[in-house]
Amino acid sequence: MRGSRLTKWLAAIPMAALALATIYPLVFTANVAMKDRREYTLDRFAPAGALRWDNIARAWTSVGMSRYFLNSVVVVVCSVAVLLLLGSMAGFALGRLRFRGSSAVYLGILAALFVPFQVIMVPLARLMASTGLIDTYPGLVLAYVAQFLPFTVFLMTSFYSAVPPEIVDAARVDGSTVYGVYWRIMLPLGAPALLSVGVLNALFCWNDVLISLLLMPSAEHRTLMVGVTALRGQYSADIPTFASGVLIAAVPVLLVYLFLQRQIADGVTAGSTKG
Amino acid sequence: VTGYSPAPVDRAPARPTGRPAPARRARAPRGTRLERFAPLVLVAPAVLIVLLLRLWPLLLGVNFSFTGDGARNGTAVGFDNYATLFDDPLFHTAVRNVGLLVLLLPVAVAIPGLLATFIHLKVPGHRIYRGVYFFPAVLSPVIVGAIFNLLLAFDGPVNAVLGLAGLGPVDWLGNPSVAIFAVVGVHVWATFGMALVVFLAGFSTLDSSLLDAAKVDGASLLQTIRHVIVPGLSRTIQFVFVTTMIGMLTSMFGLLYVMTNGGPAGSTYLPEFYVWFQQGHLNQPALASAASTVLFLIMLVVGLAQIGILRRAGRED
Repeated sequence: MRGSRLTKWLAAIPMAALALATIYPLVFTANVAMKDRREYTLDRFAPAGALRWDNIARAWTSVGMSRYFLNSVVVVVCSVAVLLLLGSMAGFALGRLRFRGSSAVYLGILAALFVPFQVIMVPLARLMASTGLIDTYPGLVLAYVAQFLPFTVFLMTSFYSAVPPEIVDAARVDGSTVYGVYWRIMLPLGAPALLSVGVLNALFCWNDVLISLLLMPSAEHRTLMVGVTALRGQYSADIPTFASGVLIAAVPVLLVYLFLQRQIADGVTAGSTKG
Repeated sequence: VTGYSPAPVDRAPARPTGRPAPARRARAPRGTRLERFAPLVLVAPAVLIVLLLRLWPLLLGVNFSFTGDGARNGTAVGFDNYATLFDDPLFHTAVRNVGLLVLLLPVAVAIPGLLATFIHLKVPGHRIYRGVYFFPAVLSPVIVGAIFNLLLAFDGPVNAVLGLAGLGPVDWLGNPSVAIFAVVGVHVWATFGMALVVFLAGFSTLDSSLLDAAKVDGASLLQTIRHVIVPGLSRTIQFVFVTTMIGMLTSMFGLLYVMTNGGPAGSTYLPEFYVWFQQGHLNQPALASAASTVLFLIMLVVGLAQIGILRRAGRED
């Protein structure tokens, strides 16, 4: 490309500005969380005078973020565990074993990817209410599993279909049952794919607000994201405490991102290339 | 990220149908019943959950949309809910806003596409941009919305920056003709990293000798984009178009709920918010189901139209 070096440097300027615009909102929020209310009112942009953790502590204890946090952790851990178990079982069966009608089953599960939650939320809420599952942990876990299972099956099927069939055959000759092959060979073998899809599912569940708002109406069952939305109403005059609550909800995601960015990107891009 | 469903519509079935395995059945020696039906046993829980909690509710919902609310609960009312829907100014706004999203879609795809191009061409600092740009995409819309509530406040940082340039202040979330653009802008800010990563994955499969050839031939950047990158990445571009549109239609609830709650004056309603509001606040589940059905149809039409348009565009090249 002609003059490409100059073009690249010219492009780098807006790109660096955009990078700043991507980082700054979070830095601003963290800074506000460290200020006391007087400091915030006087100047919201200046760096906080000291690292004050009392806003964070107040948000964690008296506002009830600790309870919401725990609710979220329980629901996310259970949902991801079930998703990985069922997703890898189905992925192994559809991708490696195959059986008569397996492609029809696979297509049926894929079709569910195109049924967004908003389209089924009314009947689903009624189903949950009539079965007594509404406002319970198992009910929310089941809803998350149903929501993210098609995506999980899709990824695990494409992973297991790339596993050489000889591995299964060798284990079968050694006298292993199909279930033994799944549990002792396929599950450990799938670890990289399970990590990637597990992290992504954990993010989906942790970040969700609509499903949890609909199926967990009572205050003591709130997940963290619903808790943050409630915080806004309660602490609209106390912005530093509000910012602290937001920070508490964002930091776990930031940590996961720092360590598992590649796995997240792998999951997001799966299916976009090749073919 | 909730609504982001990375599935290529057109090449999905390729893998499992690739090679049927009749030989496998003959080779499986032990014939206990549980063993023979193992594939079915393994796949059954997933199938049951998807059928019962994803596909069955879809039918229930469509069916339910033809029954009444309140006093007419349970009785068949034909298309009454749909008539109510098309008379409701709030629903009009919701559908008009979908039109706005469709118009903004090319911008939402072009921005990450262009950024990915520059990162792929190794602009100074390219190593860090991907990691930085992708980060907001993993944050919950609730967190993003809460942060931007602070940033877009009348006396907040955004207006302060505009003030330095002698502009504004703008009432970002309080002015009915501005608020929807503010929310969509925040959505694009929060999700362009997702499309960027997909584009970069596409670039990694692009034949680099083509780019080199363009360089040797002295092609300008625009020419390179038009004749090498766009044709080479048509699959990826198609994928990004569809997933970005699905994301706009199904994952803005958190932002709307936190930033505007549908206001001011109902100007930021989207169909998904309308469904939630009718169901959760006005207790009109049948009407909400009708709106859900319309949303589903909109998604089908938009999705199929996009695939059709992009296919045709691809063929002309």
